[in-house]
Amino acid sequence: MKFSKNWLKEFVDIDLSTEELCDQLTMAGLEVDGYESFQSKLTGKDAIIDLDITPNRGDCFSLLGVAREVAILNNLKLKLPKSLTISSTVDSPTNISVCAMGPKYVGRFIENIDLSVQTPDLIAERLKTSDHRLIDPVVDITNYILLELGQPLHAFDHDKLVGDIKVRYAKEAEELTLLDETKIALNKDCLVIADKKGSIAFAGIMGGLDSSVTDSTKSIYIESAYFKPEAIRGKARRFGLQTDASMRFERGVDFNIQELAIERASELLNKSVGGRFGPLQVVAEKKNLPKQNKVSLNISSANRILGANLSKTKVKSYLTGLGLSPQVKKETVNTLIPSWRYDLSIEADLIEELARLEGYNKLPTESLQPLTKKKEITISRKVSSFLVSQGYNEVITYSFIDEQDANLENGKKDHLIVSNPISQNMSVMRSSLWPGLINTYASNLNNGEENQKLFEIGSIFKKNKAGLVNEILQVSGLVSGKDMDLHWKNKPSPLNFYHLKGDLESLINNLTKEATFESRASSFLHPGKSARIKLGSKAIGEMGVIHPGVMNKKDLKGEVLLFTLDLDKLIQDKNIKYKNFSRYPVSQRDLAFIVNDSELNSKIIKLIKDKAGKELVKINTFDVYQGDNVPKGKKSVAFNLKWQSFNKTLIDEDIDRLVEKIVNSLSKEIKAELRS
Amino acid sequence: MDITSIRKKAIDAVASSPDLQDLESVYKSFLGKNGELNKLLKTLGSLPSEERREAGQSLNVLKKEIEVVYSKRQHDLIDLDAERKLKNEKIDVTLPGISREQGTFHPITQTINSISDFFESLGFEVASGPEVETDYYNFEALNVPADHPAKDMHDTFYLGNGGLLRTHTSPVQIRTMEQKDPPLRIICPGRVYRKDSDLTHTPMFHQIEGLVLEEGASFAQLKGLLNDFLTDFFGQEMELRFRPSYFPFTEPSAEVDIRWKKGWLEILGCGMVHPNVLEMAGIDTKKYSGFAFGLGAERMAMLKHDIPDLRAFFENDHRFLKQF
Repeated sequence: MKFSKNWLKEFVDIDLSTEELCDQLTMAGLEVDGYESFQSKLTGKDAIIDLDITPNRGDCFSLLGVAREVAILNNLKLKLPKSLTISSTVDSPTNISVCAMGPKYVGRFIENIDLSVQTPDLIAERLKTSDHRLIDPVVDITNYILLELGQPLHAFDHDKLVGDIKVRYAKEAEELTLLDETKIALNKDCLVIADKKGSIAFAGIMGGLDSSVTDSTKSIYIESAYFKPEAIRGKARRFGLQTDASMRFERGVDFNIQELAIERASELLNKSVGGRFGPLQVVAEKKNLPKQNKVSLNISSANRILGANLSKTKVKSYLTGLGLSPQVKKETVNTLIPSWRYDLSIEADLIEELARLEGYNKLPTESLQPLTKKKEITISRKVSSFLVSQGYNEVITYSFIDEQDANLENGKKDHLIVSNPISQNMSVMRSSLWPGLINTYASNLNNGEENQKLFEIGSIFKKNKAGLVNEILQVSGLVSGKDMDLHWKNKPSPLNFYHLKGDLESLINNLTKEATFESRASSFLHPGKSARIKLGSKAIGEMGVIHPGVMNKKDLKGEVLLFTLDLDKLIQDKNIKYKNFSRYPVSQRDLAFIVNDSELNSKIIKLIKDKAGKELVKINTFDVYQGDNVPKGKKSVAFNLKWQSFNKTLIDEDIDRLVEKIVNSLSKEIKAELRS
Repeated sequence: MDITSIRKKAIDAVASSPDLQDLESVYKSFLGKNGELNKLLKTLGSLPSEERREAGQSLNVLKKEIEVVYSKRQHDLIDLDAERKLKNEKIDVTLPGISREQGTFHPITQTINSISDFFESLGFEVASGPEVETDYYNFEALNVPADHPAKDMHDTFYLGNGGLLRTHTSPVQIRTMEQKDPPLRIICPGRVYRKDSDLTHTPMFHQIEGLVLEEGASFAQLKGLLNDFLTDFFGQEMELRFRPSYFPFTEPSAEVDIRWKKGWLEILGCGMVHPNVLEMAGIDTKKYSGFAFGLGAERMAMLKHDIPDLRAFFENDHRFLKQF
């Protein structure tokens, strides 16, 4: 619902900026979709506020309703529009009868009106700001009252009515042509307004065409009725007729406001189209009108539900502010609900009102306690499931190891000793997971198991300078043998450095950023076949072939590979931000160079990337070769490069230019020769 | 030759042996079948028995001594040999590793998993229910009567058999409450359907519904839980606000907004389970209270990963999928 701020101010004397007002409404549950400032020719600076009203708050489908809410929130008085009573100068020729689902009908006959006048400017402006089309002064005024008070009104051309007006159910398939010229066949659960000839309006939804006000209308009959929500619900939807009236009736209209609405309309009509007014005709079946709800609230259960501690005084004052009449007796509050609040019928509804007025954000906040001890879904679980999926077997070895094993690596002697070990070969707290893995490997090897991929997750223990113990959670592993068992189609090949590296690259990449591998790790590993693993500048672990010296000490032969990673340094940091991708094709080129044997792949790639331009999307090393046609001390390395632009299809000339730069740079920096 | 000189000679020879091959022949020359020690042993027969025994013992001691030295030298030589070889064995550790290309989980699955992980750590169980629902579970049991305007909030797909595609995961709450007794903590991720398709809506999307039903469950706990959850999900303290709102199945009801860039962004709906819902499910409302919340997995994933277009989730473009 859209409305003007100045209009609202006629009902409640607020001194708030539009932004403050909107914020207040939003935080009270009347969500403001947006607002727009404008200069009114009639009332000065103004703003249009667009309110999104939830289905439960039918009472806020009017300026009056919104004002009532604003008054409560700001502790101000609501200024009800004055209801001037217009004295009748003519009799009404029409009688009214009602029924159970439409139990109240207030009407007024007005004759001799002048429809040649313009709709008053202020009304016209406000209808426009509320997205209402101007039609004629009579219809415009009924729409104005609908917005102002939330009571849908309807004006019939009285001269087209035959006999008395009756609220009744339609007959099955009873036909009615509506104001919008659609002809519908009603069902018998539809409520209609009818005269002697037949239905003249689809009650609470839309008037009929035949009885509508036109340019030539001289006398009118104004309807201000109350229809029960159940009578209207579903009907508008059934016929695809969602109207301002139906939206209000199906949510519930205040059943005490019909008189005020018609008096307000009469007053405005009198000022614009004039005419002679008949008496106010009020027909109501009291027994069929809604009863004012009585609800009781237990203050301590309200506080229990909210996890709050609202005092009796506060509860009483909040409820009073809403127009309720709370009677407090010990912990119980009994109250009558005002006729406009259809949404308040049980205790929980009142609890929501208390919470709303206290402010949801002011209410206490308390963490929900875990039911059982908090189950850590740790990084170890992700690491181990990945390794298992790659064919590794998890092992669990003792945390205390043999001192000799602890000394496998040279230079580390200050062990954490178990004072009363269960046996002498379990006397040192391990400072590496490797000895356990190597022993496991050796014993499996004794059983003839040559292909092994093992890992363990566990803590290692290191004495720090203060003499305290640092516990570091690590994952370590060992691989040796072939990459697969005998197979009819594929040939097993020996596991080497690059197999293990590939596994670790995938593992690390799954959890966090891409790692780099730098030559040479601890003396436990082969100096030429080991690498330190780094994330940025931080070392997180190492990998490589076991140093032959260590192998020798353990009486082992062949190539066995180890790795270790500090789990706390692997902390998941995969803050992935989506990158838009190009819709243009990829261009690619293969380049092979002869370089010195000792040149690192990482260095060559960096040199290439430096010159390949921003549009390089991928580079792969796809061949490394030594032998025939390659001089001794040199190697041939081949790269596949892919480029893609965001704004065009790259042509050969673009790529040629980049390739030339790359070749020149490589030749200058590392004396690389392009192989033709 | 006497023992002393043999001893010196042998130890020197072992210690200075340059390689394993040489060491082997040194070993044989002293301890072999025709080695010096055996030769000496053979000469012992001529000695008087007293001396013979003494000499024999000395020879045995020497034999053991040489073996120790030999074995140490042998290890050293193996090490030296290895060191020598190592100098010529150097690989380029910066070449890419060999691995099968890793697949990816759909970002929605990742989001649901990460959310489920959080709630499971607090003792929630993951529950599921059918996607083809009845009007009863999707609406009526959730306090949405037929023809109620609240139904307009959901554009429902109806099926030929009279069923409907669930418009939210809330029916799982009801089904769980019917089958299990409180206390309950459940989280129900799944597909839901609404008849809506434009830039910001797809006719199928994913919701994650949570329900806590236990003694003393309070609005304060609901606030605390969602605060903790959003902090965990976004990996940083989030500023959030609770706004009164309306859902037929909760009372009080709230929308939760997070501070996002310059404004507030609506992120989920929640509230205390409506007493009518609890009563219909046969829960003792004097004893138990409950709260529930529902959030859209797509929206959460979009915020977390800066994904601008909702529809990307269902286009499954390889270039999109590979990024997560």
